[in-house]
Amino acid sequence: MIPLLFAASVVIFTLLALQPGDPLDELRQQNPRLTAEQFEQLRRAHGLDQPIYVRYFKWLGRAIQGDFGQSRTYASPAGQFVFEQRLPRTLILSGAALLLALLVAIPVGIFSAVRQYSRADYAITFMSFVGFSMPVFFLGILLLFTFAVWLPEQIQGFPRFPVQSVSDFQWVQVLEGQITFFQYIGDWAFKLVLPVLTLSTIQMAAWTRYMRASLLEVLNQDYIRTARAKGLGERIVLYKHALRNALIPLVTLVGLAIPGVFGGAVITETIFSYPGMGRAIFDSLIEKDYNVAMAALAFLALLTATFNLVADLMYAVVDPRIRYS
Amino acid sequence: MAAVAAKSSQKTQSTLALAWRRFRKHKAAMVSLGVVISLVLMAVFAPWIAPHSPTAQPTGDDLAAYFFQGPSAQHWLGTDDLGRDVLSRLIYGAQISLLVGFIAAFAAALIGTTLGVLAGYYSGRPLRFYAGPFAKGSGGFRPLPFAVWRVVSWLLLFLLLYLAADLAWQLSGTNVQALFAGAVTLNNVLSLLGLALVWGLVLFGVFWGLFGQNRIDLDVIISRFMDFMLTIPELPLLLVLSALLRDTQGVVGQWANQVFGEAASVFIIITIIVLFGWIGTGRLMRGAVLSLREQEFTTAAQALGAGEARIMFRHLVPNTLAPLIVNATLAVGGAILTEAALSFLGFGIQPPVATWGNMLTRAQEYIFTAPWLALAPGFMIFITVLAFNYLGDGLRDALDPRSRL
Repeated sequence: MIPLLFAASVVIFTLLALQPGDPLDELRQQNPRLTAEQFEQLRRAHGLDQPIYVRYFKWLGRAIQGDFGQSRTYASPAGQFVFEQRLPRTLILSGAALLLALLVAIPVGIFSAVRQYSRADYAITFMSFVGFSMPVFFLGILLLFTFAVWLPEQIQGFPRFPVQSVSDFQWVQVLEGQITFFQYIGDWAFKLVLPVLTLSTIQMAAWTRYMRASLLEVLNQDYIRTARAKGLGERIVLYKHALRNALIPLVTLVGLAIPGVFGGAVITETIFSYPGMGRAIFDSLIEKDYNVAMAALAFLALLTATFNLVADLMYAVVDPRIRYS
Repeated sequence: MAAVAAKSSQKTQSTLALAWRRFRKHKAAMVSLGVVISLVLMAVFAPWIAPHSPTAQPTGDDLAAYFFQGPSAQHWLGTDDLGRDVLSRLIYGAQISLLVGFIAAFAAALIGTTLGVLAGYYSGRPLRFYAGPFAKGSGGFRPLPFAVWRVVSWLLLFLLLYLAADLAWQLSGTNVQALFAGAVTLNNVLSLLGLALVWGLVLFGVFWGLFGQNRIDLDVIISRFMDFMLTIPELPLLLVLSALLRDTQGVVGQWANQVFGEAASVFIIITIIVLFGWIGTGRLMRGAVLSLREQEFTTAAQALGAGEARIMFRHLVPNTLAPLIVNATLAVGGAILTEAALSFLGFGIQPPVATWGNMLTRAQEYIFTAPWLALAPGFMIFITVLAFNYLGDGLRDALDPRSRL
């Protein structure tokens, strides 16, 4: 895993260092009186005059100690900006979306599998196909248009959902007693409804399909027939014998989806102007603020590698037939 | 037995005809096939269908009147922020989106198949690259090229190791010297640890080069590479690569501009999508070949003296065609989606070329005044991706009836 991470960080760093244009170009344009000599001094101060591999190892040495350098655009250390400002926001949004997707997908998938070939099953299968094929940006814009523009105009008193999805309330205000806890939660929830829906739809649809397929496969197994033959109630057969085995493939899928939770969603965050990790990466690429991009991307690579491993191990935990030597 | 034989001879059907019969039963897939065919026709005949030019901007005194027109008899879907006809841009956009989808899916399938089959077939079989590049032609063992390659490869390895050790010293040397001079700081201690780690690895490399078995097989290399690609966050890397390759000052950007002209960014986006797109196919093919190569027909082919390439591409690959075709069909939808997502973020195909993705780029800003700008291309992408997903589902039922989902 560590060689993989090393290689991944080398590649990301090199690609960022090779990006067209100098990170300091903007500075030069803003200060026309900057002489070439001073500019060279600035580049040396930022370490930009050294070859890429020297810069990489210097970055690595500092990153191991938790120092990701300074962000040029946000005037704060890049690590602090990414992990303290953006990461909690993203965890709220993507975590809620993941939870919603799971809470809907598992029961609906079970229902759909138990009533296979019923009208409800066809409807659910169709809906999951639609959700699965829905481009995030289209869904986001569609929801935004419907709930922030169209419905409030058509129906009197329909709540106008916000275009900007960040609550103005701070947690400090709750502590100081300016607003109640429920006002705080309520405001956040109201503003997060649309982005969470947008973000969870694809996973919801995909996981419903997987849940249905894997439960159907399990229900055709011999041991289910045995359980029924010995007179167990359908409820016990379903929830004690079938469901446990049917959840195994889903565990892997969810494990692999978790790094995405931390990575945020560039598109959803862009549509709903939500300052999360995805947006931080995107903005830092545009602003050439590579310390921020590098901190976020290296963190994501670490998470992805870790959760790949965790998903494998979890698989062995939930399925005793798999043994790791 | 005789009855069965008589019955089957009475109604002989080719595999394809059987598959087509199964496919026809899948109603949604049939509808999707119709949708895909009409989209392709629309793209091919775009110049004759489109009512206006996709890039023509109105000229006249009162320019503002042409912008953001609502749907009308002249402009069925209205006009955009530069007064261009949205319907015509949609029709021309189908050309680029479908082109990107088909080429990217095909190329990804090709690369994924080749690498996946190689990885699966050579898994657990160490490479025979001992002979090295100096041994011309296959055939028996030749001592001289073998010895030359041994020496050359050693020299290359040791040069690399020397560079690594030297670089480690360059970076940490001053800190380590300071540490031994008495300055015990965290930074200096970490430098020493880093130096020890790198030099330890170098020593290990030296011993490995001298005494190691060098039994690397192709599967280890390819599988590790696929794992590695999956570690990197995909969308950010796509953005980074897109910015890097589209740079008109860069080598790739200049070359693409010379060869493809206005369509340079189309070519670059396809390349980037393929760069990540082949991994799914690669893993699929590797798994399939790993199980197929143990089957009797492979042993039979080997016993008959078939060469490795012949076994891989004439015996193994045809047996994996069904999941491969399904995978490629789903990949078309995926590639269209990726292109649209990149273009939506402004890192994709650049205007004035119209694609469904870049029509969305600035449309969100006008959602209050001109919602059709965002909804029309988004709807087209949605329908196309849905059609390809259903098509893949139908093909899976038809070609590979044993596997479900």
